[in-house]
Amino acid sequence: MTVLAGIGFTAPWVLLGLLTLPILWLILRAVPPAPIRRLFPAVTLLLGLKDDESVSDRTPWWLLLLRMLAAAAIIIGLAGPVLNPSRDQTGTGPLLLVLDASWAGASRWGNVLDQIDAQLTEAGRAGRPVSILRLSEPEAPVFQAAEAWRGRLPGLTPQAWQPTEAQVAQSVQALTQVEGGFDTHWFSDRLDYPGHDQMLAMLQARGDVTVYRAASAVTALLPASYQDGVIQLTAVRAAPGPAADITVLAQGRDPAGTMRVLQSVDMQFESGETLAQIELALPSELRARITRFEIQGQRSAGAITLTDDSLRRREVALIAGTLNREGLELLSPLHYLTQVLSPTADFVDGGLLDVLPANPDVIVLADVATLAETEEAALVEWVEQGGLLLRFAGPRMAASDLGRDEEDILLPVRLRSGGRSVGGAMSWGEAKGLAPFPDSSPFFGLRIPADVNVTTQVMAQPDPDLADRVIASLSDGTPLVTRKALGLGQVVLFHVTADAEWSSLPLSGLFVEMLDRLAVASAAKSRQQEQLQGTTWEPIQILDGFGTLSDAGSLPGVDGAQLIGGEIGPDLRPGLYESGKEKLALNVLSEDAVLTPVVWPADVPIRGQEVSTETPIGGLLLSLALVLLTIDVLASLALSGRLGMARTAAVVLGALLIAPDARAQAPEDTDFALNATHELVLAHVLTGNREVDDIALAGMRGLAQTLYFRTSVEPAEPIGVDLERDELAFFPLLYWPITPDQPQPSVEAYAKLNTYLRSGGMILFDTRDADIAEFGASSPNGRKLQQLAAPLNIPSLEPVPNDHVLTRAFYLLQDFPGRYAGSGVWVESAPLDAEQIEGMPFRNLNDNVTPVVIGGNDWAGAWAVDRNGQALLPVGRGYAGERQRELANRFGVNLVMHVLTGNYKSDQVHVPALLDRLGQ
Amino acid sequence: MNAALTLRERSEAEASRLPPLLARAEHLAGTVLLGDHGRRRAGLGDDFWQYRPAQIGDSRRLIDHRRSARGDQQFVREREWQIAQSVMLWIDQGASMRFASEKTLATKADRARLLGLSTAILLVRGGERVGLTGTTLPPRRGNAQIVRLAQAWSEDSDADYSPPEHRAMIPHARAVFISDFLGPMDEVELALTKAADRGVRGVLLQVLDPSEESFPYRGRTIFESVGGTTRHETLKAGDLRDRYLDRLARRKDALTYLCRATGWQLGLHHTVESPQSALLWLYRALDGGTQ
Repeated sequence: MTVLAGIGFTAPWVLLGLLTLPILWLILRAVPPAPIRRLFPAVTLLLGLKDDESVSDRTPWWLLLLRMLAAAAIIIGLAGPVLNPSRDQTGTGPLLLVLDASWAGASRWGNVLDQIDAQLTEAGRAGRPVSILRLSEPEAPVFQAAEAWRGRLPGLTPQAWQPTEAQVAQSVQALTQVEGGFDTHWFSDRLDYPGHDQMLAMLQARGDVTVYRAASAVTALLPASYQDGVIQLTAVRAAPGPAADITVLAQGRDPAGTMRVLQSVDMQFESGETLAQIELALPSELRARITRFEIQGQRSAGAITLTDDSLRRREVALIAGTLNREGLELLSPLHYLTQVLSPTADFVDGGLLDVLPANPDVIVLADVATLAETEEAALVEWVEQGGLLLRFAGPRMAASDLGRDEEDILLPVRLRSGGRSVGGAMSWGEAKGLAPFPDSSPFFGLRIPADVNVTTQVMAQPDPDLADRVIASLSDGTPLVTRKALGLGQVVLFHVTADAEWSSLPLSGLFVEMLDRLAVASAAKSRQQEQLQGTTWEPIQILDGFGTLSDAGSLPGVDGAQLIGGEIGPDLRPGLYESGKEKLALNVLSEDAVLTPVVWPADVPIRGQEVSTETPIGGLLLSLALVLLTIDVLASLALSGRLGMARTAAVVLGALLIAPDARAQAPEDTDFALNATHELVLAHVLTGNREVDDIALAGMRGLAQTLYFRTSVEPAEPIGVDLERDELAFFPLLYWPITPDQPQPSVEAYAKLNTYLRSGGMILFDTRDADIAEFGASSPNGRKLQQLAAPLNIPSLEPVPNDHVLTRAFYLLQDFPGRYAGSGVWVESAPLDAEQIEGMPFRNLNDNVTPVVIGGNDWAGAWAVDRNGQALLPVGRGYAGERQRELANRFGVNLVMHVLTGNYKSDQVHVPALLDRLGQ
Repeated sequence: MNAALTLRERSEAEASRLPPLLARAEHLAGTVLLGDHGRRRAGLGDDFWQYRPAQIGDSRRLIDHRRSARGDQQFVREREWQIAQSVMLWIDQGASMRFASEKTLATKADRARLLGLSTAILLVRGGERVGLTGTTLPPRRGNAQIVRLAQAWSEDSDADYSPPEHRAMIPHARAVFISDFLGPMDEVELALTKAADRGVRGVLLQVLDPSEESFPYRGRTIFESVGGTTRHETLKAGDLRDRYLDRLARRKDALTYLCRATGWQLGLHHTVESPQSALLWLYRALDGGTQ
């Protein structure tokens, strides 16, 4: 590359072309502009007129200069000029680019890619083979031409974990396979990880190592915890430095379901500190909505911490059968439940029907036997939509007939009457303890204290599916807790009371744990490893290196114990996991994570990641030449007086240059509205059948002409209307020809049509078959009409009565022929109370315009004319046919008059004139 | 057989071109309302004028017996004198008329035919006889004549500037000449003097395109007549403007002088203007003469 005056040229010899410019100047100067030919009838008056000067207009100097500049710009542009040519060409031989590619570098990943791109360009120019190795996702390095890598650059993405020890080892192993030496450029994310030194030593042994690293230190967010009603947020940074402010955003769904920032809080790293903490107190409603915290302006998985159920307090509605016993709070059946749940759950108070609209997570019914029918229905609906109904037995339930003969829908099992009591003063047996939980039970793994015993319980009827529904039983095998699924939710029955009257279960810690497992209580405290022992968690959504959640796809489930203690890596990806109804968020950093900055030995050169990019300006110059030539064209046209015809072209060109993206959508809509409203416009529905549409349009045109010549209605050129796209409100009348194969309009189109009909529009349906085959409504067109009209809001219909206003809106008509004169025409039926007054020729009918007119006489065919006003289709034979066409035209006139004037002609004022004309 | 078929086909195609012109002309004519204009004196006609006592010399057949039977005197029923005037039209069919400087404008020929046909419709409604100068279509009355006129005017002439047809003019008839009058003046002069000799008076309507009035051209240009027979090249069209306008004014002066000498009326119509005003002017000019 030759560098002239700070600008490099890839092809400097092309610049010699500049020498031809003076010659070009002379040639262009000598050629005058070409003449224009014009038609001009008054040329006879010009004959003999001489020009004052014999010299034609010469090309002016500024136009020549413009053209010279354009030519010069082309020549220089083709010489390949480059701004900021990079001159640090170092090294030869293969080049290895090592990338940490972890979340820590994700925020500045664009810089990294730019730098890699620049290096690939340079290596490509120097002809060095290149390989790229990502330590967080190692593959065996392959040295290829730099250009081959450039296409793969967008596919290089950071991972949501640091390179694990195994991965580093794998990389080292792969590199030892490579033969020969190579130089290394290491793009570091500034964080240390196990195996880092080993890797460096390995690379230094093979060639020079240069480190590129970002300027600023890494900041990350530790998982949020919830304690004593406040959320604890902790941010860490890799190296202590000067005081720095960061903003943390709490994001979640608003009540409408859209993600938005619910709260933003400022945190400060003190000077020299690596930790920053803040406490955040939020209303529980808001807190429950938060799905993630993130550091504003950082785009990496480490700057994000996901929240799970742990921030959420469950809403529980407690309802007991006997709440009206004053003063007996310790005997209240809900006392123990309140004690257990109050630290972790919010209570919803009120009667059953009052709390259901609040949609609590859990409804507890303590010893409630009978429910009103409406209550039961509402409760069933709520459960089926995912609610958890927790019922406790009690004396009332035992005494009632609930679930006796057949299974109650809100009970998991049928119950025997009376229940049983054991271990009391009047009974033989001992009080029963609990049997170990089977491994299919949600309680599996809980330790059973020895002092829990049950003295009274309600008994389940032995039904075939009883065994599946038992999730806890007594030592003698009788069910203690049963459960059944109902819709998306479930119903759980404790066969004992919620207080200590029937058993000591509510007094024990096991009760708390059982409720916890049933997800009645939430897991506000962080889960312990042994708590999750034996559970399998399925990933739902995982984080990528940039902190974006994506669908987990078919990733395998993870063991619960590993989820707490395991190292984040390709096998344990951060994200959201689910087991049963519980959710757990696994974040990139654990609660006690520390960021360790990497320390490089003194002999490793370190560079920043800032790039000074080369800018090729050839394209810019060539565009400049194009612009200059465009101006030249316009100027030449202006000089030779041809700008008039070139004006349109110039406007178009200007529009193209200035606003290439401007969409013409809005003007189109406005054009349509203007066309449809500047005059009265008749419209027909586009059926998609070209032939039918053409005839319909021609028919509307013919009707418009008839109206124009005979009446004061002067419609403009008709329009075909696309039901899906176009606004209908502009048209008083829509002609809708029926074809058997036209598509059914969409739901939105039907909504538009119904609005149109409601607001006074009229649709003329025409099956165009005149019912010749006498199929009635079962002809193909008739069936299609039924399909099309079914979603429309059409009133009851009747054949046009003799005194309908259509028969006298403009002309007096008895029948309504089109191309055919066969079938009847149907309109909205008259109100039942319409009565004929003695001596009047017609009834006082409804005041509305009929919203639909349905017939099959192919009116458009009879109306259709071409542009010259000649009828397109034959009607009947000879004079009788022309008479029929005339009647069809009269029907059209009457129809339009009816639409436009309503029932004006129904007014009694016209009676004398009409009687006179009717000859009565 | 074949020739007849194609002739039929062509004539159908030609005929289908007529209705729009006819329709437009009818529509235009509809804007000028006519009354029956009798001559307000007794004469030959259909409408009753008056009864007058029979005089010596009246034929017995003229006596109106129904009126006479009421009394002793004999009455003669007189009818109003209604006489049909012959109006001869000439419209320039030359190529120079088929010119419009912009697409949105009508060509001069189109405007001239529209005005001619509308005038003809008005005249026929007024009971006059309308025809073409020359021998092709002598004046007749009735709606069929309108169709014949429209058919005659749907044919274009190839010549650049066609001279006014002045043969076979009926003495003391009226005539309407519509053209741009940009062709040779001596032909116009000849036609008008000949007409004046025969006592024919009438109207000249000059139809011009706006560009012919303003000459908005610049730069090196070759001007060509529409038929392509005449051309004029100039290096600076802008410089010719004043001299061209001067010549155009002189042409108009010459027409005015000619009209004054022969008792004709001269009108000027530009194709940008509404045809209605021109039609009104034409009708007034003709009507003014007939009174």
